[in-house]
Amino acid sequence: MADSVSSNTSLSWLIDPLESTRDAAEGAYQFAGDRRAWLVPLILGFALITISAMGGWQNPDDFFFAYLAGWSFLLTTALGGLLFLIFHHLTRASWSVVVNRINETLVWAFPLLFVLGLPLLFGMHDLYHWTHPELYDPSSSHYDEILAGKRAYLNFPFWCARMVVYFLAWTIVSYRLYTFSVRQDVDPDPSIPAKLRSTSAWGLPLTAVTLAFASYDILMSLDPHWFSTIFGVYFFSGGILSAVAVITLVALLLQNLGGQLQNTITREHYQDLGKYMFGFVVFWAYIAFSQYMLYWYGGIPEETVWFQHRLQNGWGWHSAFLLGFHFVVPFLVLLPRAPKRSHMILSFMSVWVLVMHWFDMHWVVLPVLRESGGFHWLDITCWLGLAGIFGGILMYRLSRHPLVPQNHPFLSESLHFENA
Amino acid sequence: MANTEETKSIPADPSTDGHTGEERDPLVRGDLSFHDITELVSRHTEKKAPPAWYAAFAVALSGTVLLLALFAYVSWNGIGTWGNNQPVGWGWPIVNFVFWVGIGHAGTLISAILFLFRQQWRTAINRSAEAMTLFAVMCALIWPTFHVGRVWVIYWTLPIPNQMEMWPQFKSPLLWDVFAVSSYFLVSLVFWYVGLVPDLATLRDRAKNFWRKQILGFFSLGWTGSNRHWRNYEKAYLLLAGLATPLVLSVHSVVSFDFAVSVLPGWHTTIFPPYFVAGAIFSGFAMVVTLMVITREIYGLKNLITIDHLEKMNIIILVTGTIVGFAYITEFFMAWYSGVQYEQYAFLNRAFGPYAWAYWIMMTCNLITPQLFWSKKLRRSIPVMFVLSIFVNIGMWFERFVITITSLHRDFLPSSWGYFEPTWVDIGTLVGSFGLFFTLFLLFLRFVPMVAMAEVKGVMPEADPHHYDIGNGHAGDGEPYIEPATITAVERPDRS
Repeated sequence: MADSVSSNTSLSWLIDPLESTRDAAEGAYQFAGDRRAWLVPLILGFALITISAMGGWQNPDDFFFAYLAGWSFLLTTALGGLLFLIFHHLTRASWSVVVNRINETLVWAFPLLFVLGLPLLFGMHDLYHWTHPELYDPSSSHYDEILAGKRAYLNFPFWCARMVVYFLAWTIVSYRLYTFSVRQDVDPDPSIPAKLRSTSAWGLPLTAVTLAFASYDILMSLDPHWFSTIFGVYFFSGGILSAVAVITLVALLLQNLGGQLQNTITREHYQDLGKYMFGFVVFWAYIAFSQYMLYWYGGIPEETVWFQHRLQNGWGWHSAFLLGFHFVVPFLVLLPRAPKRSHMILSFMSVWVLVMHWFDMHWVVLPVLRESGGFHWLDITCWLGLAGIFGGILMYRLSRHPLVPQNHPFLSESLHFENA
Repeated sequence: MANTEETKSIPADPSTDGHTGEERDPLVRGDLSFHDITELVSRHTEKKAPPAWYAAFAVALSGTVLLLALFAYVSWNGIGTWGNNQPVGWGWPIVNFVFWVGIGHAGTLISAILFLFRQQWRTAINRSAEAMTLFAVMCALIWPTFHVGRVWVIYWTLPIPNQMEMWPQFKSPLLWDVFAVSSYFLVSLVFWYVGLVPDLATLRDRAKNFWRKQILGFFSLGWTGSNRHWRNYEKAYLLLAGLATPLVLSVHSVVSFDFAVSVLPGWHTTIFPPYFVAGAIFSGFAMVVTLMVITREIYGLKNLITIDHLEKMNIIILVTGTIVGFAYITEFFMAWYSGVQYEQYAFLNRAFGPYAWAYWIMMTCNLITPQLFWSKKLRRSIPVMFVLSIFVNIGMWFERFVITITSLHRDFLPSSWGYFEPTWVDIGTLVGSFGLFFTLFLLFLRFVPMVAMAEVKGVMPEADPHHYDIGNGHAGDGEPYIEPATITAVERPDRS
């Protein structure tokens, strides 16, 4: 591998593994904003997280559940972005090359997410019922035969080991995809596209399997009696939708606020991003409905209980909201051609989709804690705080490298792309 | 073997092969011109069919006759002639139904989903894959019709106002099947026919025989290929592709609901909808590969259906096969994780019970064999892919067999455990359904252009409006020089 870009060695490796190649960027692809672009969201995020932590002192339960919902929102988004990138490398897509760098900066997020996930370890006892030792003691009145049967899988050391394995796998795949591409900007090594593709080829099954098991560990085991085989796909479908929204939103921000990439990302690319957004809205609804309908239809008590919690005592409203605003509204808005080509509508819909994805995570996580529905202010501050830190660092990475993979062999095809 | 008669020699075999790099692979090899493509494809419908076609047709037709005879036999004597028994009320008919619906799905994936993803390599295989869909769906529809005890009242499943004021139960996925598969058939037919219109017009214009011209003229609907025709055609095709895509996903999901809505251990699981769809694409692509390997060889289409096409199909087989394999593991893991003893037993029974042989055939064919396609050498080898594609379809038939039979034959009450053995009628009807499929497919090869000529021409380099403006804007050697249009003198039409 050509070492024309040196690696960061210190802790900043976690934020960006490569030194800045900003000066090597062609004029149009150089990030034009100043440090406010990443400093403002970062500071706001830290402020909100600090406030949340103080609130968490009073209500640790509310804090940890809210934090988990916000953190899952970011984790699924990064995983969705990783898979979106992998798909495009594998299919040798050319239209997406101009937005690939935005996706790549999104994808190098797993070390940061790992660090941001550490506070959850202090809340394990509150979050995960299966961590309570008395459940496994046959002499205790809390003894739970079913959970005792799952103990080989659901136990704290093994859970932590699995987390390390997942994050290691995601970090390795995203490291290769990110660094190869950034190196290509300064050193058009002809072997890089093949390396990106081969990494994607083995990265796809690896990421898919770890993603599914991570969804069982992080979200499904919140209700350890409940199980659903489609849950991993559900986790993926929301995440990839959210990732497409992030890519669209960052592209629009760069263009409309930063004045960047004006003739690079065109309406043609936005239309394609809009199509993907539409497609994954429908895919999410398909998976969500399949899961619900099959459990409603079967009516087996140990399975329906999960939806019962989410349809009663105020949570019914949340479920109806998901149907109406996570599916029906984006479906109708994104169906025609014109809205997908309008900057204004598309930026509105990207924010909409992101809010709905958080709402979806909230709907999965919070009913375990709160039986009667509703929101706590911590839900919002934890989410926005984490998103601020995450988004600030994303913008920081973006500012250090060319905004598009400028030596990509398909770049000119992408620049001239038209929806036929 | 068949391309010895033509007057002008059109290269039928790839002239170049095997390269890596970042440039796009040419979709059509052998330096074919637009006219060569018309010749290569049309001639098979215009000349006499080769003797091998008649031989194959005779075999396939006898299979169809066998199928019809057996259905007459079953309708007359009752469905007790099948091997179904009390715990296993759904035997081979439902297995074959799901199998054939699954085969059909690759056609729509190729014609609709790959169209939406702008995958231009689909053009060479799309026509035959769509035809395969139609015939596979026909082969599928016969099973829900004839597996019922009283075939003559099958129309009661339709919501028709009647003197009994009785309506079908809209909560039954078997009723959803009626709607799903019949609308799937209709939409596929319309989609295929819309795609055929320009090609039928080409055949019409080439027709030398009066009646041939009349018949093709009728079916090509007065197509002249005008600008306005093409504009509307492309829009209609895009809309149909957009409609067919959710349809194809929902059809096999509905088929999976037949099992998943029940409360049976081994059937009642939420991953079935996407997992059945992935399996359908997996088996369907395997069938396309099997058929295309033979067709391109016999009909001399190696320059249109190149090894790159086959490789791409094999990659899709690898991807969907891995998804299916992952679903097997998920099901097994969840059965253990659920802590439900019936679920756990159902899966142990699959792996180690009386039908373990079927389970391990399924696992070997579906989980292991597609993984060989990780090797570029193997996925570009015609003999390897031919054998593997047949293995995949054997494996996918057994997948449906394992899901249906092993979950039924041992469930909640041990007192109603049984064993299922097929009768000669089961075997005969399965063989007969292949006969019907190949009868229709051979008729298609004989009478319909098997490659979408108009679409293949549209993706050739010469179709690109910028093809001739290479370099400095001057025509190079061997390129026709095109006079730039001048608008100095606009002739006005004489309006007298």
